[in-house]
Amino acid sequence: MKKILVNGDRCSGCRMCELTCSFKHEKGFRPSVSRITVLKEDGLGFDLPVICWHCNHCKPAESCPTKALQRNAEGLICINEEKCTGCGNCTKSCPSGAIKLHPNKRIPLLCDQCGGRPLCIEKCPTKALTYKETRKQEPKSPNRVLEETSRRWRVTG
Amino acid sequence: MEFLGGRGFNSRRLYEEVPEGVTALSSENKLMFATGPLVGTAFPLGARFNVSAKSPLTGILGDSNAGGHFAAEMKFAGYDQIIVEGKSPKPCLVSVQEQEVQIRDAEHLMGKDVYETTETIRKDQADPHVQVATVGPAAENLVLYAGIFANCVRPAARTGMGTVMASKNLKAIVLRGTGSINIADSDSFWKIAEEVERETYAHPQYGPRREMGTTRILSLADKLGFLPTRHFTSATFEHAAEVSGERLAREYNVKNRACFSCIVPCSRIYMIRHGDYAGLHGEGPEYEALSSFTARVGNANLNLALKAVDLTNKLGLDAITTAECIAWAMELYEKGELTKKETGGLKLKWGNEEAILGLIEKIAYRDGFGDLLADGVKKAAEKLGKGREIAFHVKGLELIQADPRGLKGYGLGYAVSSRGADHLRSEPFLELSDDPDKGLKMFGIREATQRLAHEGKGKLIRYCENWCAVIDSLEICKNLAENMELLPFDRAAEITKAATGFPFTADTMFEIGERIVNLERAYLVRQGITRKDDYLPTRFLKDPLPDGNSKGSLFEIEPMLDEYYTERGWDSNGVPKAEKLRKTHLEYVIQDLKRTAVSEKLRKKV
Repeated sequence: MKKILVNGDRCSGCRMCELTCSFKHEKGFRPSVSRITVLKEDGLGFDLPVICWHCNHCKPAESCPTKALQRNAEGLICINEEKCTGCGNCTKSCPSGAIKLHPNKRIPLLCDQCGGRPLCIEKCPTKALTYKETRKQEPKSPNRVLEETSRRWRVTG
Repeated sequence: MEFLGGRGFNSRRLYEEVPEGVTALSSENKLMFATGPLVGTAFPLGARFNVSAKSPLTGILGDSNAGGHFAAEMKFAGYDQIIVEGKSPKPCLVSVQEQEVQIRDAEHLMGKDVYETTETIRKDQADPHVQVATVGPAAENLVLYAGIFANCVRPAARTGMGTVMASKNLKAIVLRGTGSINIADSDSFWKIAEEVERETYAHPQYGPRREMGTTRILSLADKLGFLPTRHFTSATFEHAAEVSGERLAREYNVKNRACFSCIVPCSRIYMIRHGDYAGLHGEGPEYEALSSFTARVGNANLNLALKAVDLTNKLGLDAITTAECIAWAMELYEKGELTKKETGGLKLKWGNEEAILGLIEKIAYRDGFGDLLADGVKKAAEKLGKGREIAFHVKGLELIQADPRGLKGYGLGYAVSSRGADHLRSEPFLELSDDPDKGLKMFGIREATQRLAHEGKGKLIRYCENWCAVIDSLEICKNLAENMELLPFDRAAEITKAATGFPFTADTMFEIGERIVNLERAYLVRQGITRKDDYLPTRFLKDPLPDGNSKGSLFEIEPMLDEYYTERGWDSNGVPKAEKLRKTHLEYVIQDLKRTAVSEKLRKKV
């Protein structure tokens, strides 16, 4: 299936993706409710957008105590708001840390790929985000990407 | 509406709440952080903040501006302006999480450099998304030109705002917000934002800026003959190619970074792959810092320059002022007017590695000869009793990296800028076009946009100063909004109207700029600043440029000041006339200036 792919080396960390995502879904510029989040490490100059990959084996869905996270017909993980108790278990069990809770509603925020035309990709100024067919089952965890980048960029220390 | 936000807000409050009697390092001084109405939105020209206070370096209006991600977080936390008053009895940090504001102990952060402090705070907070603005050891040691650093390498460094922060025993401000910025008219907002986006991507400067940021200016300055080399003794640098933005891009770049909501990722992560300091890795530098530690101090070793910039960032210094202090001492030393005995054993030869790095450290820790330089070049020359005529500052603030003899508009900008010798109050890049038709069209005089001509510069500077005041108050990036001409007054009005719902027009925007500049001038006049303080150092007025493409050029200041004051509606002494102040809705200033004039006369009689 088609996924939003991320290239950290290209990402400038401008967070335009967070802004367009929150505007599209919540009608305001508000990174705290965007479905995509840019992880940053200023010391290294590292920026990495993190977003739900809708993995084949979704650990948050498996571990959700009320089974509020479900896969829809298009294969996307989505939330049944009525079942969700806001326990935040999903935010901890996702290996990518791609899920955050809405700060007021306390429900997980999940990427819906904008119905097949993700706006974050259209607005990304550096083409760090692409929307492509892939067979890869799950993404590299942000920590691993950070580690690898750190090794690649630093000659010493 | 009257002052827009950012710099406008700060200057207005400073005028009201930090009057002439307040000294910069006393607890009565107020440190203000302000951001603007477009910050936090997806308007694609960046997101910045201004920090203002009475300056310890100049004793007049202190103000500096920085990018990164701090400004946007301020908005998401719900603040347009943060004001720090008084003084803490012991080291502290201020943590702002939406409505919750805490003053916390910061003893454990004292003495830590800018990078360490930022990292430690992020770890302590267990939240990678907090934004931190901090000061380094230089500020703690009350070096008069220490900056405030956001995202490690985004300094508001000019005029010693970090020193004011440290004098309040405040090590850092930590922000986190989850709020929403809502738009009054989102259809218009997106229409304008998308127009700006298209123009940006099609702009001829888009590519070079992505590749080199502002460092691309170094080669240009060398070619046109205004690159301050060996402390303004030359306007071209024979090693320019070795320390150029082009070389940085070719051999050092790793990736690009951007400020919040900016679509031109002009900041660059570099890595030194070979030679001296191999393995050094960091972000930047921009033209000012690069030129500071190459041409200005006569250094041809790019790796050394990167190391020097990294060190000034870590220690929390203003790179421009630091480099002027070092270059000033080097010129004296090279002329034989300063001895090794006086410098504490340092051989201040042009480009000497030990001298450059050694002095940066010594300045930051006020150690030995560095202690003298830590008060800025004006006071250093006064204390040392020599080198006054080559202490390159205006109103106590050190000159930037462009020789005014080769750029007359910039020179006038330094002379009249409300924070001292600096280009960012006017940034009259239009004269770099050397296109007489542009001058004729915009200002009715061909010479206005020709860099070596004196005529028409009053008109040019008035226009650009008003423009910069608006951009600084909207808190977006001048490189894009002004230099790339992406945000003229009419568009600034349209986008601000769409974002806020207030009925701005091109004319009201121009007037806001005019109001801010006049109020800042009144702030200076109230402290006794007049025409006599609007001069450039004598080298620029008396010694023709010795080499390069502006060879033979001199700076004729009198006619330029006359023209500028006339354009501004100020009297021949540089004081805003009552009529002008009334027109810009600054009635409350008129009485203050009358009082100042009376006390000046009394003082003279005595």
